[in-house]
Formats: sequence, C-alpha cells, structure tokens
Amino acid sequence: MTDMLSVKDGTKIFYRGTQDERRALDKLNVTLSPGDFCVVIGSNGAGKSSFLNAVSGKLPLDSGRIFIDGQDVTRLNTHRRAQFIARVFQDPMIGTAPTMTIGENMLLAELRGKPRGFTYGLTAARRARYSEQLSELNLGLEKRLDMQVGLLSGGQRQSLSLVMAVSTRPKLLLLDEHTAALDPRTAKLVMDTTVRAVEELNLTTLMVTHNMEHAIKYGNRIIMMDAGKVLVEIGAEEKRGITVADLVDRFHTKSDIIALQGA
Amino acid sequence: MLNVLTSFYGLIPVTIAQSLIVAFVVLGVMLPFRILNFPDLTSEGAFPLGGCVCGALITVGVNPFLACFIALLCGFAAGCTTAFIHLRFKINTLLAGILVMTMLYSINLRILGRTNIPLFTYDTVFTLTAGASANLPWVKILIVGILIALVVAAMLYFFMSEKGTSMRAVGASPDMAEAQGINVGTATIIGVGVASALSATGGSIMVQTQGFADVNMGFGILINGLAALIIGEAITGRQTILRQVAAPVVGSLAYYQLISFCLTLGLAPADLKFATGAFVLLMLALPSLRKSSGGTQIREKIRE
Repeated sequence: MTDMLSVKDGTKIFYRGTQDERRALDKLNVTLSPGDFCVVIGSNGAGKSSFLNAVSGKLPLDSGRIFIDGQDVTRLNTHRRAQFIARVFQDPMIGTAPTMTIGENMLLAELRGKPRGFTYGLTAARRARYSEQLSELNLGLEKRLDMQVGLLSGGQRQSLSLVMAVSTRPKLLLLDEHTAALDPRTAKLVMDTTVRAVEELNLTTLMVTHNMEHAIKYGNRIIMMDAGKVLVEIGAEEKRGITVADLVDRFHTKSDIIALQGA
Repeated sequence: MLNVLTSFYGLIPVTIAQSLIVAFVVLGVMLPFRILNFPDLTSEGAFPLGGCVCGALITVGVNPFLACFIALLCGFAAGCTTAFIHLRFKINTLLAGILVMTMLYSINLRILGRTNIPLFTYDTVFTLTAGASANLPWVKILIVGILIALVVAAMLYFFMSEKGTSMRAVGASPDMAEAQGINVGTATIIGVGVASALSATGGSIMVQTQGFADVNMGFGILINGLAALIIGEAITGRQTILRQVAAPVVGSLAYYQLISFCLTLGLAPADLKFATGAFVLLMLALPSLRKSSGGTQIREKIRE
C-alpha cells in the first residue's frame, strides 16, 4: 500500500546566510499511511506550522520532496495541491469567505481542485445536498443557506469549515489548531464532529494542537516536533497507555536546553 | 426657484444619457473595490484610453462597433497590467494603478496624435443605429440603456456561476480561495482587466456622444465613480450580488441628477470636484465617526 503522505528530507531555512538564520524544517521525514490520524505537537517555533504549510504548498521547500498518495507534489503550488488537500485554519475568519453565503461557501468547497465552469452555481440539487450535509452538525445551518457566513459565531464558522473540508473526501485533511480559538464547549463540539467525520470517511489526517489532552484522546499517532525535526514518534500501541504527564515529560527538548544555557 | 426647477427638468434627459455612459465606469470601479478587494485607480486612465482608441480608429475609417470593441480590449490590457504589477512586484495596488494611469496619458497622446480630435463628421455607433435621430437624448438613453442592462445581466449571471463565485471568493478571503484550489493571481488579473475594459468601453461611448476625443477627458472620473457607487450602495444595499451589481447603475443615475441639480442651483463648476471629494470623504469617514460616538453596533455583533 502506498503512503498517503510522505515528506522526505524536507528542509526550509529562513533568512539563510544571515545572523538570523533559522531552520524551520531540518531534513524532516514523515510518512502517513491511509487512514492515519496523526497529531503533531511541539513547542512554539518547533516547526509544526512550517510542516503543515510545506504540505499545503504555502511554504515551498528549499530541498526535499513531498508525495501525496504516491504523486510528487513538491513543485505544485497551493491551489494545485487543493485537489488532494483540505485544510481547516486556526482563525475561523480565514477558512471561510465572510461576505458570501453559507451555500456559496459550500459550493466553493465542493469544487475544490475541480474545473469550474460558467454554469449556474447554486443549483437546487446542490442546495438540497448542502442542507443534508449541514444538518449533521445540528446547528440549524441547513436552514440558513442564504445567510452570510460573517454573521455566524466563531464556532459555527469553524464547524462549517470542517464540513466544507471533509465533504469532498480529501486524500489529506490538515487541521491547524482548528479549535484553539474557540471556547471549551464549542471546541469539544467541533472536535467531536472532526472525529466523527474522520472515522466515517476514513480520512488521513494531520492535526496540529497545543492541547495535550486532545493529543492523547484523538488520533492513532503522535509526532512531537522540535527544531524542525521529529523528536519523538508515538505509534498506536504506545499511545494507548500514555498520560499527559508522560507527554509533558518528553517535552523537555533541545530548545529548552538551549534556552536554559542561554539564560 | 421655478426657474431653477424648469432648467433642471430640461436637463434630466441629457443627464440620464450621461449617467448611463458613466455607469460603465462605475461598474469598473465597483468590481475591483467591492468584489476583488483590490482598490484600483486604473479606471482614471482606462476611460480616456477607451475614448482615444475609439476616436482614433473612427477617424481612420474603422467601423465604430469594431472601434468600441478594440477600445474594450485595450482597457482590458491596461487593467491586467495594473494587477500584474501588483502581483509580480508586490507593489501597492493604488501605486500600481497610478503608474499605469500616468503611463497611459503618454500612450493616449500618442494614439490621438494631439490632445483633441473632433468626431462630428464621422459615423458613430449612434448614427449607424438610429440614423438622423442619433442626437436626441432619448435615443442615446435607449441605446446605452440596453447596453448597460446587458452588461449588468451578464455580470449578475457570471457572479452566480461556478467561475464567478470563485472570483468573489478571491476578494472575500484570498487564503481560503487558494485553499479551495482557486488561482488567486489569475482571478485577480482577469477581474481587474474586465473592470478596466468596462471603463474603456464607457470612454469609447462617451467620445461618440460628445463628438470629440480628448486626452484630458474624464479627469477625476474615478472619484465621480466612487461617489456614484457609494450613493448607489446607500440606495440598493450590498447584501446580495444583485444589489451589488445594480448599485453602480442606480448610483450613477442618482449622482448625476444630484450634480445637475446643484449646478442649476448655482454651484460653480469650478467647485464641483471639491464638493465631490468632500462628499466621498464624508461617506468613507462615516463608519469610523459612528463607531467612536457609540457602541450600539458593536454590542449587537457580540450578542450574535
């Protein structure tokens, strides 16, 4: 079986050749099998966001290669990779188009990575399908297809983002701290919806989080990053028994030591 | 007072004809500003460009319809250039527009050969369509009105199509649009290009109704367009794409009647640009003035 995602020796250096040179990704190697739900943790500046941005295409690699489902996508830019990847951003304002309606946002997501024509967009058949997809959220969004997304709350928008992301069964789902900006109750709601969708559709998922409890509770693998590399990898077997304390223990990383030496 | 009203009344048809022509420019101002979130000044150069290209072609015997179409293509190229400069060199959109607009002045002068050429003796789109009655205001209103209705209908349809929806997404949230597989650069270039094509079309129609082409025509047209757009949006609102696309035409019609009324009341033409600028400034400043004077709107938002 081919890997769904494979990053080989991914390297990205910011401000190369200056005093501020920083290795965001340092020969990073990660592979995900189909159906993997991998949680990425690490302190600030560990390279989690760079990793996600490199996979999505937002951050072109200096060297190394990225394969999605066996296909080399290293040279494809973000909008070309969108045919494989769906992403939910941390900021609910970015992941949706606020001045457009819920239905139009769903339309944009449905046509992700597909050719768009001059035919009428929101047909009756599509509206019916979107209503059905949205009704699973139990937020009443299915009755408000013509409402502007900007009028929704952060949690509602993030839930909508999630439905938009999974509705096309992407090969790879990227979740970028997608519950970090929400209150605990809403965060749980969005997280539950995430897990249900990922399991139902058997999506290969990469989730960045700062929430250790989420890291333990969700997914079958954990990757702990530091200084642009995978520091610790916890597989399905080991992950079952792990506690928050274990994780925090392992968080004593190279950057910490450097920071202490610097002090 | 009765005097004023009669002369205002007499001017209504001429003003309507003029405002329908300028409605092309207002549509060309609306598209980048409102749909693409790309503040663009190219219209100021694309409007005379359309006029000069059309005028020059008509004087050498080109069919007026073809001349209008070529003017449209030239405007499209001008808009694409502005968007390209912004995207490729990361130059601020307004500055990119000013650069193109300034360079277009020389180009317009080259196209025309001198600052001004008369077109009275040549056939125009209007004389070819309406013959001897081409100069009647109501004939102009009918012809331009049909054209603008077609353009509005086409825009409305496009912005509700799959492609048009993705173009609107580029303005609403570029990051989101990119993540949905939309090529933000291409959509921006085409959108700004179409906007300038509309302005150039307005210019090409304008020279045929006024009977001459002039490199200085339409000085300040952008601010006029913006004023008309703001008035139009105040009347129609912006909640749906229909309202957003109708606003430029409604606004243009209202704005030029207002100007005509002010002029008949005795506003000196010299003061007109100041008055227009002050009006636009006031309308743009209004939201922030409201915000600092009371918190009711903000509170409502939080409640939702």
